[in-house]
Amino acid sequence: MIRVLLADDEGMIRSALAALLRLEDDIEVVAECADGEQAVAEALRLQPDVCLLDLEMPGLDGVQVAERLNRAIATRCVVVTRHARPGVLRRALASGVAGFLPKSRGADEVAAVIRRVAAGARYVDPEIAADALSDERSPLTDRELDVLRAGRRGETTGQIARALALAPGTVRNHISVILGKLSVGTRQQAVLIAEERGWI
Amino acid sequence: MLPVIVANGVSVAMTPFHWSPAESGSAGTSPLSERIARRIRDMCHARIVLSVSSRTEPLAPAPSSAAAISLTRGVAATWWYTLTAVVFIEVALIGAWTGIVAATDFSGAVVLTIAVGGLLWCASTLLLLFDYRHRFDAGPGVPWKRLIVPFIVAVAFGAVGGWLTGSWQLAVMPLAQSVVLLNWPRGVRFRVVVAATLLLVVLAFLDSATYSLGAGVPAWLPGAYAALLPSMTVSSLWFWDVLVTLDRARASESRLAATQERLRVATDVHDLQGHHLQVIALQLELAERLLPRDPDAGMEQLRAARVSVDEARQGTRDLATRYRSVPLSDELANARDLLRAAGLDVEAVIDPGAGSAPGSALGPVIRETTTNVLRHGGGRRARLVLTRIPDAWRYEITNDMVAGGVGSDGSGGSGLDGVRRRIEEARGTLDVRAEQSEFAVVVTVPSKVEETR
Repeated sequence: MIRVLLADDEGMIRSALAALLRLEDDIEVVAECADGEQAVAEALRLQPDVCLLDLEMPGLDGVQVAERLNRAIATRCVVVTRHARPGVLRRALASGVAGFLPKSRGADEVAAVIRRVAAGARYVDPEIAADALSDERSPLTDRELDVLRAGRRGETTGQIARALALAPGTVRNHISVILGKLSVGTRQQAVLIAEERGWI
Repeated sequence: MLPVIVANGVSVAMTPFHWSPAESGSAGTSPLSERIARRIRDMCHARIVLSVSSRTEPLAPAPSSAAAISLTRGVAATWWYTLTAVVFIEVALIGAWTGIVAATDFSGAVVLTIAVGGLLWCASTLLLLFDYRHRFDAGPGVPWKRLIVPFIVAVAFGAVGGWLTGSWQLAVMPLAQSVVLLNWPRGVRFRVVVAATLLLVVLAFLDSATYSLGAGVPAWLPGAYAALLPSMTVSSLWFWDVLVTLDRARASESRLAATQERLRVATDVHDLQGHHLQVIALQLELAERLLPRDPDAGMEQLRAARVSVDEARQGTRDLATRYRSVPLSDELANARDLLRAAGLDVEAVIDPGAGSAPGSALGPVIRETTTNVLRHGGGRRARLVLTRIPDAWRYEITNDMVAGGVGSDGSGGSGLDGVRRRIEEARGTLDVRAEQSEFAVVVTVPSKVEETR
């Protein structure tokens, strides 16, 4: 019997999927959670074999939940999403997610993926992988991305410089190159673009 | 219910159908439902062929941001060039006047006043020139506050210079030049230039009659130069105007292209979704009515509706994919990053000229093979190589085998079969090599494949 935890903030989808998965003989849905925090708490308590996590949840998203769980317990996480934003598959794989599939898959396919993942394999949906391969490449260098990352909460140039052990003038140079490359006027806009496209 | 679907000028109108229980009761349900189902199928087919095949022309390539930046820099540089040219003409004229005054019997103080005052006036015209740069964006009305300083300087320099040297032309020239630099409407500026030139020519003759210069000095030089000043200035500015107009035209052209693109996407999405939703609604309605009397036929319709939903989803996806294609080298770099993120040790060798490799043939191969490595993963290493060989491109992906790898569950093979068909259409070859500890896919595609994407 594979013990499965479901986490999705959309109640209808969660209960429909739970009902469909319960029809499978070898799958037992042990918990249904409405957000990321609850999913982490329940998973730590119940130690399920597989966690099926929605990517878009309030508070912690699916990948963040998977990251926390992988550090704490031996569970396999599968992330489900309606629309995979750029960079999210890379982030998910890096945080040890064992499966990634779109919400459009039928319950029988989800069950098959749960079985594969529970058996120790990894499953990445071909559609999501194809989308991830056609992501736009970042025109910024690693150093420029560091600068944006260090300043994403609106830190001052001085704070960024201290965080990266650079001279403030160097940081200003990097920023003006970034603004030129992205054709935007402010650092905040550059951060927004980079976050939206999954570069930072 | 009378759905009418219009696509590319072809309209397909469905005849209204009224379900009457009496009719169905006597004739039986299945022939009618089959008929309707067939109609739905035909409609689907005709519609999809219409909507998709007509829109496969390649998208206009978007200008890269680097090119746009260098163009913007070029426009800015041209502005500084124009500004420098105008100021240089002015400074040279002041130099000529200073020389003339120095050669004639004037005191050092007068020479100094002409030189310093002249340079001050040149600097004041910079303010007018800076305003001129953005004349196309300037609002209506005259910015008096911004004009007052340059005009006071021009009038003061003219008055002092004219009084000290006794030259009418030097008295009027600074003001005339400042007036020429104003943001005049196109036709008016021509008249202003002609008037200023005539005035300066007349004053030059007046000067030559009443005013004698030192011996050996080419007396006509400053006079002729001053008379030419307005037209030389305006021709430099005209060059700038032409450039700005061209730049605006280019920008509005690319905006127009983007708008057309958006419209096309909107129409495609609307056509596709509207059509599929209509078919699904019809199938569901049919199922709803069939279920009480013929559950099997009703279930059949429900299954058909599910298939339609899948088709709609796939259609939407295909549409989205068509509008987001990236260069092959980016796709390979993304593949490398993904495999690295999945914990593999990745070695990637990508030919610098990968941008010219046939993307429509190689793209799907890269996608499929990368997905396979990810999916059947658990391996440690992967190697991606895209190289140019004579008359062809060679792509190779190698990864270490793990138990239960590609082919053992049947899912990996079928994906590669699809890829193989595409490669063969492009007259390429695909080899799969599965050894004890290594799995490799090697693809070669002739470099002169006709791009069909």
